[in-house]
Amino acid sequence: MRQLLTPNSMWSTHELKDRYDVVIIGAGIHGLSTAYYLAKRGITNVAVLDKGYVGGGASGRNTAIIRANYLTREGIPFFRESLSLYEDLAQELDFNLLFDQSGRLDLGHSESAVYGLRMRTGVNKLLGVDSRMIGPSEIKELVPAIDLRVGKPLPVMGALYQSSAGVIRHDAVVWGYGRGADRQGVEIHPFTDVTGIVRENGSVVGVDVGDRRISADIVMSATAGWSSNIARMVDMKLPLITHPLQAFVTEPLKPFIDRSVSSANLHVYVYQTDRGEVVVGGGVDPYSSYSQRSTLHTLEELAANMLELFPFLRGVNVMRQWAGLCDMSPDYAPIMGEVDGLPGFLLSCGWGTWGFKAGPIGGYTMAELIDTGKTPDLIRPFNLRRFSRGELVNERAAAPAAAVH
Amino acid sequence: MSRPNKRLSAAPQELVDRSRPIHFEFEGRKIEAYEGDTVSSALSAAGVEIHSRSFKYHRPRGLLCVAGRCPNCLMTVDGTPNVRACTASVRDGMQVITQNAWPSTERDFVSVLDRLDRFLPVGFYYKALHKPKFLWELARPIVRRVAGLGSIDVDSDGGPTSNHTNRHTDVAVIGGGPAGMLAASAAADSGADVTLIDDQTLPGGHLLTDIREYFDVPDGLGLSTTTGHEIAAELRERVLGHQRISVLSSSSAFGMYQDNLLAIQTGRDSLNLRATHVVMATGAFEVPHQFHNNDLPGVMLASGALRLARLWGISPGKTAIVTTNDDSGYWAALNLSDAGIVVSAILDSRVVPDSDLLTLVRTAGIEVLAGQTINSAQGTKRVKSIATTSANGETRNIECDLICMSGAWQGASGLLLQSSSAGVDHDGIVRSGVPENVTIAGGVGGVHDLGALLSQAGLAGKRAAAKVGFGVPDDLPAIEAELSVFKSPTTSSAESSASPITQTKKTFVCFCEDVSTKDIAVAVEEGFGDVQTLKRYTTSTMGPCQGKMCHKAFVEVAALNLGLSVKDAGATTSRPPAQPVALGTLAGQNHMPRKRSPLHYVHEQLGAEIVELGPWLRPHNYGSPQDEVLAVRERVGIIDVSTLGKLDIRGPDAGKLLDRVYTHRFSNLREGHIRYGLLCSEAGSIMDDGTVTRMADDHYFVTTTTGNVDAIEDWFNWWMAGTGMDVYVTNVTAAWGAINVAGPRARETLAKLTDVDLSPKAFDYMRSATGEVAGVPSIFLRIGFVGETGWEVHFPAEYAEHLWNTVMEAGSEYGISPFGLEAQRILRLEKGHIIVNQDTDAVTDPLDAGMRWAVRFDKPDFIGRAGIAATRDRESKQSLVGFIADDGFVPEDGLSIVTNGQPVGRVTSSRFSPTRGVGFGLAWVPIEMAEDGTRIFIQSGRNEWPATVITEPIYDPEGSRLRA
Repeated sequence: MRQLLTPNSMWSTHELKDRYDVVIIGAGIHGLSTAYYLAKRGITNVAVLDKGYVGGGASGRNTAIIRANYLTREGIPFFRESLSLYEDLAQELDFNLLFDQSGRLDLGHSESAVYGLRMRTGVNKLLGVDSRMIGPSEIKELVPAIDLRVGKPLPVMGALYQSSAGVIRHDAVVWGYGRGADRQGVEIHPFTDVTGIVRENGSVVGVDVGDRRISADIVMSATAGWSSNIARMVDMKLPLITHPLQAFVTEPLKPFIDRSVSSANLHVYVYQTDRGEVVVGGGVDPYSSYSQRSTLHTLEELAANMLELFPFLRGVNVMRQWAGLCDMSPDYAPIMGEVDGLPGFLLSCGWGTWGFKAGPIGGYTMAELIDTGKTPDLIRPFNLRRFSRGELVNERAAAPAAAVH
Repeated sequence: MSRPNKRLSAAPQELVDRSRPIHFEFEGRKIEAYEGDTVSSALSAAGVEIHSRSFKYHRPRGLLCVAGRCPNCLMTVDGTPNVRACTASVRDGMQVITQNAWPSTERDFVSVLDRLDRFLPVGFYYKALHKPKFLWELARPIVRRVAGLGSIDVDSDGGPTSNHTNRHTDVAVIGGGPAGMLAASAAADSGADVTLIDDQTLPGGHLLTDIREYFDVPDGLGLSTTTGHEIAAELRERVLGHQRISVLSSSSAFGMYQDNLLAIQTGRDSLNLRATHVVMATGAFEVPHQFHNNDLPGVMLASGALRLARLWGISPGKTAIVTTNDDSGYWAALNLSDAGIVVSAILDSRVVPDSDLLTLVRTAGIEVLAGQTINSAQGTKRVKSIATTSANGETRNIECDLICMSGAWQGASGLLLQSSSAGVDHDGIVRSGVPENVTIAGGVGGVHDLGALLSQAGLAGKRAAAKVGFGVPDDLPAIEAELSVFKSPTTSSAESSASPITQTKKTFVCFCEDVSTKDIAVAVEEGFGDVQTLKRYTTSTMGPCQGKMCHKAFVEVAALNLGLSVKDAGATTSRPPAQPVALGTLAGQNHMPRKRSPLHYVHEQLGAEIVELGPWLRPHNYGSPQDEVLAVRERVGIIDVSTLGKLDIRGPDAGKLLDRVYTHRFSNLREGHIRYGLLCSEAGSIMDDGTVTRMADDHYFVTTTTGNVDAIEDWFNWWMAGTGMDVYVTNVTAAWGAINVAGPRARETLAKLTDVDLSPKAFDYMRSATGEVAGVPSIFLRIGFVGETGWEVHFPAEYAEHLWNTVMEAGSEYGISPFGLEAQRILRLEKGHIIVNQDTDAVTDPLDAGMRWAVRFDKPDFIGRAGIAATRDRESKQSLVGFIADDGFVPEDGLSIVTNGQPVGRVTSSRFSPTRGVGFGLAWVPIEMAEDGTRIFIQSGRNEWPATVITEPIYDPEGSRLRA
């Protein structure tokens, strides 16, 4: 109660120092969770730098669905561990993250879609994720408001149901990690634009912020949609293409749907927040761009496809449409860890449309890597070198509402 | 109980027709209204003061803006929640109910939260209910029920669908106020085709309610009156009567996207208007002042009170106080007084108000109190008095039942900011950086004085026309020079707020979300150091009004607490839609076409079970897939393959194109020969497969998988673009029907109907020919997806039924049977033929799939070569193999292959083979398990089923039947 009645302190402002043990570029969920877990390991001489405000990139623009129902042996355990960290994160950070583990349905409207879902379900179960296939009648029980499209094109034939999946308040997660890191001595520097990365004898030794040179033993890029720009500072080209991803919310309504529902056939997903707004999103835009402006075409298409499942919402107003950036990797899996031939530099990118789900485990494992110098098994398959070795991790089929080639 | 009727005597500019009564129901009570009334005006006339309850504290809220901007009048109308009642026209029999209150907005028990506010500080939900963990699980359903505004009936059909129209205009003028109307007529006079968009029922803007005399209106405009609302009427006649102006009233431009694409809601429908040039004449919104209880019913924007009085003839209150920080409050007071409302005082925050005006209002009997700080409004469900402090510290409590807030304006620049990075400060006034294809006119650019505004708007219209090539384009520099005189006032970087801000828990900045000045102060104290994070933490500007009523105040309060100037504090981002827009309006008619093959009705007659496959309806079986398989293996079968994608490729460079996009080589394919084609992505993953037939030197016939043809057509065109290749790609999928006749008696069946020599010597496997079948000109392709002697016959789609029936008749003596998709799947699986995307996935390359034979590394570069080459240079880790399951088990497609309970591979396709009498299929397994005879285990439910890997097809591995 005392906590409720007295203003708490989120994070403090600092003068930028000349040297840190670790400099993290990007104050989104991955940067801040890495800083938080580093501090827990006793590494506190850490600065998190961001060119904008805290959580202003994809961390503040994603639609905050947390799930682990992926497809691959590499991906599923990674996202499963992330979900497990999320489950106790509010208590760990002492900040209510409004995590609702209300379940998530991935609908299949065709035989081939059901086949894909069944494939995921099988692997999920074997790897400890509580996914199961359900039929139309159970779908209707879980989501009474849904139109099963009987007798219409794309009838709902089945769904992959993950009951432990849920929705979280994304900003709260970012702020919670930020506050937690700050309280342990980490410095957070918003509006601090890294303009260059300093190399000496083939190693990364610091960053430039305008005309300030900041030295560091380790520089980690956690800049998601802007990762290619950071990589360019060390003359590296990443196998990433940045695409915009759009979503919108409606005006608040009394609750009519408790679970999140996704349809790859209709390229749309839907859930209702605790505030009553209906959140609607889809696949990434089919072109690459750094623009965070939204488009009319996507808004119209998302609205139309969503009404195919919930036609009674036709008269409900859209309140806000927005766009964020996704750094899409060829195999829809992240790129994490050391870069061969560039000591002192770490990557955490390729977060595409799945980065927020991986926030806690991404930070946890990167912190372990920085602390111990050894790559944790969980992220070993995600190293950049997989592309030169042809060892891709095929998560594409599990991307939400994946639409493009 | 008497029904109050608050109608004033009829005014000339009012919108209601008092001779035409209308009745509707409000909360089960019958309300009398007039045609032209809005729900809110009718309810106000009937004495309803509380129109809604607020989002968080359930505080009573009355009318505020009366223009469809603020959240105070959201109601459910005929089942549609969150309707702005103040702009919703009444209709006979309409059902209106209030929202988010229990049991009613008049007496809402949930408003107890208003008194518990100590326990609900800003961001309270982040600070509570998470320890112990189960607490949130208990609390969440309650939180969800309390939150939200209107309810939705999930059983309703959502009402009628909407239509979309796409149009182009030379000049779009957004905003039907004086600036918009004058700009529109100036642009149209220059010859441009103009569309004027206004979200109110009647163009006129602020002038609609204005009774002031304007003696400084420029002469050149040809106006015959000096009275505000009469000027509006004259300008309105001008635009409505203009041949080149199309006026869209009650239409809101809610989106402005790249290259002046305007999204406009007009009624239920939507118009996507591409404008060569846009004139932004969106004006400014009057916004609330910040004092304690500034949200009480009876506290209104002066413009809202005037709209109620002047447009609908309703008295907004008996005794009014006007609070202001500029002259506009004086004019509002005079106007209200003229309408018959007692204005007891004007409270001016300035110390030295204008003296002429002072005399004027005093003459009208209105007291002026200068240098006043408003402390609070008092009352419970309606204002009873206002408390104020003068410059010398003297406090006063003045009785009133209406407080009109005047003088605070926020430019309506949201639309412009959606598509440009114009220089706009926190007050929404556009100051710089306007794109070349946009011109600013009027209030949104900070020009408020009517005379100046009209002069500027006329020039703006001329500029717009000149920019699209009308009028005298040479005059453009002169016009622009004249326009530049109308500079918007700059906000000095030191300026904070016009009037001091009270920081209390009930001084509301954001009415939508119940965020007070105190909440923002606390959030700043907690460490949120910029407007972006403050916005997200406090949720200011994030409700239904999306900052239209609060952005300016929010930034001012934030700046004050952050110790920054408003300029340095910055602004938050404007996002579409600028006005809320219904999902149905956006969706329009959603076309989900169903495609039928030219043989569809034949299948129906034959009693086929029809399934959807992408957009296509296809026969799954005609009774028994197993029997259909045996018919093909033992006799002859016929299947409709009209849905195959078909591309006609012609031109001297046709072979070159195919060599580039396919992995195989086709430029050396001989005429009349067929080759299997595999299409890969740039990364070398399999995208599609099909056959390529060389019809002539410069002519190929390509088939693709059923669902992919449009994407493949795009893909071909994409890779041709800019190469200068002389090729034409034509999608002939719908023009050609196709059947596949296969089985040991296929040759005899077809031979009866054609002159083409089908004998083994004359017509080899993977060869093609053209000729007639049953009199129909056709292409014969001898291919063997199902593993038997057979021909795929392509023909003009209109002859499909004739051809099918004739072949059926010819084959009847051999026991011909139609076969469906399911039989085809079994047949191809028995041969080990893959289906792309079923047996492959997004990263499968041809080498892993065992199709090295279809890749030609010795030809020039082709799409996917680098990716496939990388696979060639490493050891494969997995392989696609066949398997036979033990004990007749038939696994479902997609099951996992396991080793020690861990997934190591998966079944991609599996069926029961009627030919061999076993369960079998294809599976991806680790390379070390890919050897013939390896035992593998398939996880199904809790059981692991054993199976044995096979490396040859279970049927006719030598392919002798295929080639027979």
